[in-house]
Amino acid sequence: MTAPVGTLAELRAALEARRVSSRELVDAALARAQALEPKLHAFLGMRAERARAEAEASDARRAKGEVRGPLDGIPVAIKDNLVQRGEPTTCASRILEGFVSPYDATIVTRLQAAGAVIVGRTNLDEFAMGSSTENSAFGPSRNPWDTTRTPGGSSGGSAAAVAAGIVPLALGSDTGGSIRQPAACTGIVGMKPTYGRVSRYGLVAFASSLDQIGPFTRTAADAATALEVLCGHDPFDSTSLPEPVPQFSQALTGDVSGLVIGLPKEYFVAEGVDPAVLASVHAAVAELEKAGAKTREVSLPHTKYGIACYYLIAPAEASSNLARYDGVRYGHRAKDAANLSDLYCRSRSEGFGPEVKRRILLGTYVLSAGYYDAYYRKAQQVRTLLRRDFEEALAGCDVIATPTTPEIAFRLGEKSGDPLRMYLSDVYTVSANLAGVPGVSIPCGFHDGMPIGLQLMGRTLDEATLLRVADTYQRRTDWHARRPPEPA
Amino acid sequence: MSKVLEKYEVVIGLEVHVHLKTASKLFSNAPVVYGAEPNHAVTPVCLALPGSLPVLNAKAVEFAIRAGIATHCEVHPHSVFARKNYFYPDLPKGYQISQYEEPICTGGWLEIELEGKGGPALKRIGITRIHMEEDAGKSIHDEAVAGTGSAVDLNRAGVPLLEIVSEPDLRSAAEASAYLRTLRSILRSVDVSEADMEKGQFRCDANVSLRRRGETAFGTRTETKNLNSFRFVEAAIGIEIERQAKLLDAGQRVIQATLLYDPGTNKTRVMRTKENADDYRYFPDPDLVPLVIDPAEIERVRRELPELPDQKHARFVSEYGLSDYDARLLTTSRALADFFERAAKAHGTPKSVANWMLRDVLQALKERELEIDQTKLEPGALAALLRLVDDARVTAKSARDLVPELIERGGDPAALVRERGLEAVSDTGVIDAAADEVIAANPEMAARYRAGEDKILNALMGQVMKKTGGKASPAAVQQTLARKLRG
Amino acid sequence: MSRITREEVERVAALARLHLGPDEADRMTTQLDAILDYVALLSEIDTTGIAPTSHAVPMATPLREDRPGTPLDPEDAVRNAPAREGTAFLVPKVIEGEES
Repeated sequence: MTAPVGTLAELRAALEARRVSSRELVDAALARAQALEPKLHAFLGMRAERARAEAEASDARRAKGEVRGPLDGIPVAIKDNLVQRGEPTTCASRILEGFVSPYDATIVTRLQAAGAVIVGRTNLDEFAMGSSTENSAFGPSRNPWDTTRTPGGSSGGSAAAVAAGIVPLALGSDTGGSIRQPAACTGIVGMKPTYGRVSRYGLVAFASSLDQIGPFTRTAADAATALEVLCGHDPFDSTSLPEPVPQFSQALTGDVSGLVIGLPKEYFVAEGVDPAVLASVHAAVAELEKAGAKTREVSLPHTKYGIACYYLIAPAEASSNLARYDGVRYGHRAKDAANLSDLYCRSRSEGFGPEVKRRILLGTYVLSAGYYDAYYRKAQQVRTLLRRDFEEALAGCDVIATPTTPEIAFRLGEKSGDPLRMYLSDVYTVSANLAGVPGVSIPCGFHDGMPIGLQLMGRTLDEATLLRVADTYQRRTDWHARRPPEPA
Repeated sequence: MSKVLEKYEVVIGLEVHVHLKTASKLFSNAPVVYGAEPNHAVTPVCLALPGSLPVLNAKAVEFAIRAGIATHCEVHPHSVFARKNYFYPDLPKGYQISQYEEPICTGGWLEIELEGKGGPALKRIGITRIHMEEDAGKSIHDEAVAGTGSAVDLNRAGVPLLEIVSEPDLRSAAEASAYLRTLRSILRSVDVSEADMEKGQFRCDANVSLRRRGETAFGTRTETKNLNSFRFVEAAIGIEIERQAKLLDAGQRVIQATLLYDPGTNKTRVMRTKENADDYRYFPDPDLVPLVIDPAEIERVRRELPELPDQKHARFVSEYGLSDYDARLLTTSRALADFFERAAKAHGTPKSVANWMLRDVLQALKERELEIDQTKLEPGALAALLRLVDDARVTAKSARDLVPELIERGGDPAALVRERGLEAVSDTGVIDAAADEVIAANPEMAARYRAGEDKILNALMGQVMKKTGGKASPAAVQQTLARKLRG
Repeated sequence: MSRITREEVERVAALARLHLGPDEADRMTTQLDAILDYVALLSEIDTTGIAPTSHAVPMATPLREDRPGTPLDPEDAVRNAPAREGTAFLVPKVIEGEES
């Protein structure tokens, strides 16, 4: 089996020093993916032939001195809810069986323009609805640290691919924590940028006002590099922010002296949280204080309403976004439909899994006549209060630090019988999506051999500060350098 | 029908869907085309492919503002796009992007002209709202194309529409027709739509209810959808009035329903009733942000607006000295008004041109069911024809006979006059001879004229005109006869 | 107190064009009931006078110039179609008007 891959920075240096070629890197990634597939099931499909051709093109460019940037020739993976022209996209759902997109997502275009080589599509919870990949129609992915446990979700496949050293960079999407939570479960860095920083054109929509694409990497420095390629205004996405993108790598000064870290008291309540998680997070904060940061207690008073708010807004938007999956123009169509109504109902019922159906039903219900004001509109109002919480708290501190999840990665099957119990595990992550603020999870310790994640959240458009704090922490600690055991 | 109308008052509100004449669609940059092969004008957005997103067309917004200003609406600087959710094969996303609680325009009006007892009168019809939305695609049921199924073409899906909703201020099919004509004229004059009904660019839904005369509460209304000609609108309204009156007379209730009109059978049928109406679950579209328009932009559009029909009307009265009535008739369509102005400029006497247009040209157009810009008549040609009459080179009557020909085939009036041998007879010898003959053949009439009955001259003139094949100048004929009779 | 009945679940399923088998419908009813019970938490909060948020990060309205781009190759447009007739999508017969 090929060795686990290094960081993006290490690979880039190796390519520059001609110690390795892009073709070799891509071959290694493909081989390792294949070798680990039975254990991890991180991928739903590879694009070996095209990847190899792109790798060779990158090597040819490098030979001519025409390197496109830090991602040129680097093997990467993308979550299978990002469309690529000429490639299948399944969203881990039977309803998109056979679907091949005729167009590229904007981030795919950006990655390719940067010379990155997409080697495959990673597993997810169906339509990004879930926290474990157990809702995938094609089987769950597994945590490289303990394959009886989930790698988290919904971007579990991408997290596993990076954590297991298959690729140095994988893309995920985060609607209620689907990048940050898997990053915490697998001991890597996972970032959700400010809402609108990264184009959603070509990201199969789950909840439009909450979805954001973001990178999984081993280090904050790598995340900064990746974000420079991913972020930026896109005229094809009306929710794409026009603000210019800073050079995030330049922000990594390693200096946090005088920086104020807010600790929201609502996130540090003992009840419902593994004490080992709290202890790790406190230790991480203490480390940052040693580096010169200050802490203060802040309050995000509406935290406990976040899940309720999220599980009204997200399913509502999803119920409408998923109406297009009707068997008419693409995807699964039921056989021998008696009439149009039959075609719709059977195609959708055969194609969607139970969690997706559940959320569509919930969403349809809360938007329906008579319930809209009490449920959907109410949730939108609470959302305003959550936004204000963050604005007010962040007026008095530079970043907010919390645990990413209340516990370490749970075992497969442990929560899948009880949807509500699964939803409640998102308690620390949903608020950032509702408020639109950026958030990142970085590894900060272990418990029972499983990684623990520290979450940092910041002001809108201030990913640079989050990355600076994360990078500073990583200069002083080595949690991020730990690797899961190689399979026997 | 008149019995019905004695007993009941008809209440009509109209919803019009108008295609905006943009080059690309409302939320995608697919081209707007008519008559193309299926799905030859679609992008991922039009097909609702996974991951596709809407981006608003700036021109469509400008057109919506123009339409709002032209109908005296309040144009709102803040409006919101909402999703109207339902399932239908020609609706690829499973929802239509429209506007619901916060449309771009509200509170406007337009005036229609009605024939009243004391002459034409103006009636103001309120416009509740104007909002922007995307059109759906088309389903083709032709067996040759789709066998036992239907074929779906999404070329039209996403084309920008304005939905214009009137207050229930209309009281008859005739008023409804007048409203639609006026609205169409306004929209064409501000250049936001061709509003060609045959191409489906101007479609009407008619809401009709009855109430007993004297009652103030509204009756239950029905909605007849997708009427795409003025005739169909009037027919469908007529059918509904009769049908509802019959029900009410029998003591039954009108059931709220959506109907479709079949022009082939001249009947309406129920599409769905209120009981199985869809719950559209409107909510603000999270893929779009609110439409915020700078008030300065609204002002700019107002300033740059092309002249509206009623402004043109006022100007025709003051600038050309036309009567109110004549001015109104000439400004019913922009094409007609433009034609008049060009002809008047070429000729020099607007009143004369107006008379000829209102009498002969409009008559010929009506007979042929044509609009003026669908004919071969040129403004310059009309002016030239009138000058021939002015110079007595052709009689007015001959000239009038030429109008239909010019309309159908175009051409140069002078050449036509020559070809047809229509030159006015001004040869006094011919007129003299004819006059002598007529006087000789009508001694009694001649005597009556000499006795003081001046008017009898007309009858004698008529005979002389006939003898000269209508080509003699009436003035010359009159003078000659009078001279000869007075002796 | 149940927040949603089996009948309502079936009504909503029909609106969403989903067919639920009897066991599935029962299960969904129980689960949705629990979820709705949980989200009722929001009724605790006084939201009088609070404007709803549709978009977390405010921004100016993006507008697109009215210039047509290149449409998809019609073959690409229908390539994924489960049934097609030429370049049109084929479906069972559509009754005129909206589906009810």
